[in-house]
Amino acid sequence: MLVLGIESSAHTFGAGVVEAGKVLSNKKAMYEIGTSGMIPKKVAEHHILNANEVIASALSGAGVSVADIEGIAYTKGPGIGSCLQIGQLAAKTLAKKLGIPIVPVNHGIGHIEIARIMANLADPVALYVSGGNSQILKIDAHGKAHYRVLGETFDIGIGNMLDNFARAAGLNPAWGSSVERQAQGGSYISMPYTVKGMDFSFTGILTHAQRQLKLHTKRDVCFSLQETSFSMLCEATERALLLTRSDEICVCGGVAQNSRLKEMLAIVAKDHGARIGYAANEFNADNGAMIAFVGERMLSRGIKASLSKCTIEQRYRIDSAEVVR
Amino acid sequence: MKPIVSEGAEARIYRTELYGRRILVKRREPKRYRIKELDSSIREYRTRREATALARARSSGASVPRLVGVGRYDLYIEEIKGKTLSSALGIGSGATREAGVQLAILHNAGIAHGDFTPANLILSGKRVYVIDFGLSSLTTGSEERALDLLLMKRQLSRAEYSSFIRAYRSNAAEGNETLARLREVEERGRYQKRTLSNI
Ligand SMILES: Nc1ncnc2c1ncn2[C@@H]1O[C@H](COP(=O)(O)OP(=O)(O)O)[C@@H](O)[C@H]1O
Ligand SMILES: [Mg+2]
Repeated sequence: MLVLGIESSAHTFGAGVVEAGKVLSNKKAMYEIGTSGMIPKKVAEHHILNANEVIASALSGAGVSVADIEGIAYTKGPGIGSCLQIGQLAAKTLAKKLGIPIVPVNHGIGHIEIARIMANLADPVALYVSGGNSQILKIDAHGKAHYRVLGETFDIGIGNMLDNFARAAGLNPAWGSSVERQAQGGSYISMPYTVKGMDFSFTGILTHAQRQLKLHTKRDVCFSLQETSFSMLCEATERALLLTRSDEICVCGGVAQNSRLKEMLAIVAKDHGARIGYAANEFNADNGAMIAFVGERMLSRGIKASLSKCTIEQRYRIDSAEVVR
Repeated sequence: MKPIVSEGAEARIYRTELYGRRILVKRREPKRYRIKELDSSIREYRTRREATALARARSSGASVPRLVGVGRYDLYIEEIKGKTLSSALGIGSGATREAGVQLAILHNAGIAHGDFTPANLILSGKRVYVIDFGLSSLTTGSEERALDLLLMKRQLSRAEYSSFIRAYRSNAAEGNETLARLREVEERGRYQKRTLSNI
């Protein structure tokens, strides 16, 4: 089934085309974050201006025309309301015009499922780390399958923590990727480390790291911030691995683009005889292909929504969404 | 060296002898994913924290293993003969009640456990011993106490939890405040759907 997926929950407007589980195209336009971060109104404007072009280039990239599309999937949430609305509107308009089925998709499930399948993992402990989300999950197959949250952040997502810090440190762009670049060759300074069982928290370390900027080099602070916060994620993931007796780890979401995080998790996996898997970076960053990917699985099972049920939900919880496997 | 009794997420437990007495060593093992400085400071901090909390818990009358000695990453403790509540098939109401009493004693002494789960409770005869204090906090607010209750709520069956919480409430000095806080934590939404009972 040829499915177009549309993603617009945060900074990226993405469109991707998938058929039979193969990604035919994955195009995106990303809001330029600069040094000031995301301003929801401006991001929504950006999406409106780019929607048509991104969708058109996803179609031409896949070598199909709009009339070939057999189904539409869009991100229902979680995300920023004004941004989600743009993707929702584009998806509903197309579905209505073409008279084809449409299905709302959970953003987090998009991230995990595309990584899980691409990495060829069966039933992993998933570490989903992005701007707004940081969770450890595993499929619960009792009844309708869904992801169960084993552990998560008590406050902010690790991506937001890194972005906020990058802004305070004057890094450009104010992104986690800038922190990773700056961290090369730094030395360790002590920072708060907060893990409770499989849960963790990032506000304490953020405040602390911002203060350390007055006392230490940016490089040392970036290095220590990464080492400490990633260690927290690894410890919680390790607990989940032992508790569930799983032998697979799947890491996904925007922060999974960080190579130091993947390197550390690979050690956790190795020390427990487990396998680690992740998708290529273009699928860890927000993208439309992952939405199309999950959407195709749902639509081919006949799961779809009437246009009036095609809503958005800013706080759409991952554990309330069914996973079609 | 010595036979390993258990291998957890953080520590290995060995059996050994000290001055002719059979005791356990809980050794926090290095984690290769963490850089050395961070790794040793975490292991050292938790070892010290566990020792302090064990001593305070014992002097407050809680059932905890006697602390025999502390090394940099090692804790020497009395061995409790018994089974963890997580390994028991179905937890009897006597045990859940006793767990509630023990948690109340800890909270009354200003200790929040931080990982209060059936895996960290040993049933020995009629007594329930509390172990594994590495994540405990000694300056407790109602939030930390509520999280202790939440962990049990997630892992016990409804009937088990109800006998646990009844015993807790009638023994905890600030029980009502803690239970109110628990409701607040649950309403924040994060935890509503979480339970480990069926993974
Ligand atoms: N004092 C003790 N007496 C008997 N068994 C113990 C004692 N301390 C620990 N154990 C056993 O070792 C296991 C792990 O110990 P614990 O202190 O909980 O470490 P971890 O941090 O690895 O969970 C326990 O579940 C229990 O089976
Ligand atoms: Mg334990």
